[in-house]
Amino acid sequence: MSYIDWLVASFTILSIVFYGIWKSRGAKNIEGYLLADKELPWYQVGLSVMATQASAITFLSAPGLAYSDGLRFVQFYFGLPFAMVVLCITFIPVFRNLNVYTAYEYLEKRFDYKTRFLTAFLFLLQRGLSTGITIYAPAIILSVILTIDITYTTLFMGGIVIIYTVYGGTKAVSYTQMFQMGIIFGGLLLAAFMVIHLLPPDVSFFDALHIAGKMDRLNAIDTKFDLNNRYNIWSGIIGGFFLQLSYFGTDQSQVGRYLTGKSTKESRLGLVMNGLVKIPMQFSILLIGTLVFVFYQYHTPPLFFNKVEVVKIESSLYKQEYKKIEADYSTVQIEKRGYVSELVAALDNKDVEGINSSRSKLKQVDKQSSFLKEKGVQLMKKNNSNADTNDTNYVFLSFVTQYLPVGIVGLLIAIIILASMGSTASGLSSLASTVIVDFYKPLVNKEASDKKYLSTSRWATFFWGIFCIIVALYASRLGNLIEAVNILGSLFYGTILGVFLVAFYMKKVGSTAVFYSAIIAELFIIYSWIADLTSFLWLNVIGCLLVMFLGWIIQKVLLFFNYK
Amino acid sequence: MEEEEPPVFKSWNSVYAFVIGVLISLIVLFYIFTSYFS
Repeated sequence: MSYIDWLVASFTILSIVFYGIWKSRGAKNIEGYLLADKELPWYQVGLSVMATQASAITFLSAPGLAYSDGLRFVQFYFGLPFAMVVLCITFIPVFRNLNVYTAYEYLEKRFDYKTRFLTAFLFLLQRGLSTGITIYAPAIILSVILTIDITYTTLFMGGIVIIYTVYGGTKAVSYTQMFQMGIIFGGLLLAAFMVIHLLPPDVSFFDALHIAGKMDRLNAIDTKFDLNNRYNIWSGIIGGFFLQLSYFGTDQSQVGRYLTGKSTKESRLGLVMNGLVKIPMQFSILLIGTLVFVFYQYHTPPLFFNKVEVVKIESSLYKQEYKKIEADYSTVQIEKRGYVSELVAALDNKDVEGINSSRSKLKQVDKQSSFLKEKGVQLMKKNNSNADTNDTNYVFLSFVTQYLPVGIVGLLIAIIILASMGSTASGLSSLASTVIVDFYKPLVNKEASDKKYLSTSRWATFFWGIFCIIVALYASRLGNLIEAVNILGSLFYGTILGVFLVAFYMKKVGSTAVFYSAIIAELFIIYSWIADLTSFLWLNVIGCLLVMFLGWIIQKVLLFFNYK
Repeated sequence: MEEEEPPVFKSWNSVYAFVIGVLISLIVLFYIFTSYFS
């Protein structure tokens, strides 16, 4: 990166962080610290909810996924609008009427403390690990750009977030997120414009879409029902609905965002905004990834995008073998470029036969490139069994740093770092809220002063910051990060959602029944994942329905034996 | 508790119907998009 890029990135990040700290000064009690005094308008609630979900992972991994796998990941979000509607109808009025700080507080009012404890514990486990991954994502960027060890960049990134979250709490998180989202939207538009601008002059935007489409990268909809297919319309609507409902309804990092709304109406409108904007936003990010794919049909991409692993293999005994694969890969890319030009010419002449012929040739050479890439990956594994062989997280980053002009690189790097800071800060704030409200207050110190709770909340935020940094240091073995976060969520969300749905809709099921059904369901979900019984999105559905079904059965049995 | 009315729409149910309507339109558009360019 040039000095100008550093200047742009530093100015953008620091000005937003200082603005957040300035706006959040003077928190006097935990309502101010954990719920921003419940005074935020709908658009700030909506942007905060979106910024919490859209971490750096969204901007790093999603374009990489589209580059290698097309647009099909967008289907993952189809359940989200349905989830927003259910939240507006059921969850928001209940949480606001009971005036709770965390979602789990409600469970004690409905069941008992042990159920509240169990769900809050599952949340801490899942959110603590996920927040660690969201720190790791931007740490990769700094690591690659500065070519220094990822340990130092992780410590640096985590440190900045800890400072402003410990100081300003939820208010600092929400105010910084509002501006982060503004810059993110602007930056995305700029990135899209730049990718199109960098295509050869004779290739229009529509030509680019045709090229991507003919090479199976515009597969936004897959209607075939298949339990083992990760992304199709059915897993997106059904599995995605359960995952999003659990995430937004029972994950404190989100509940804490919409509870900051001035009223029930403002909280609802914030979620409605999310339901309307999220899918088009995600589609645009993926489309940028497919355009990057088209761009690389005219410029030879590296065999492997993660430079750190390339340096390792090039300084090993396998150097010559790797160089040979790289040379073959370049030859295939040149051949591919010829077929792409043939395709564009056929498209311009509306020559259907020519289109089909170049399409099948392209698919053939695409298979050859994939084969050579796999050969390179195998070599890396042979050299180092712990090598990070998933490079999708590096595709967009590599493109930005190599091809975008000075200044814009700095802005896009700032966006990725800001996005990570937004979601990490929400994560830390929610972890601290849960520890204080669901564990410290009821178990350790019931009658402390506001000042004491405030200082303990700050310490809790600090502790979780350190914990998440430690997790981040071990996150590099998790493959594609956006999938890793969603898989991790799916292991716990279904069960937690099941407990909440029983609480809301199955009034006859009591605390003992729901508690044991949740434990059995969670054990089964972990077993299903280890045994690879189904794609991860379905784990949310299974976990949730299992808790509801077992809860009902156990309650019947308990009633039979006259046990309350 | 008396519900506050939503802006623009007459009731919250209309707001929710609008959200689902937008989703369905997007799915149809994506389907056409996928078919057209493949």
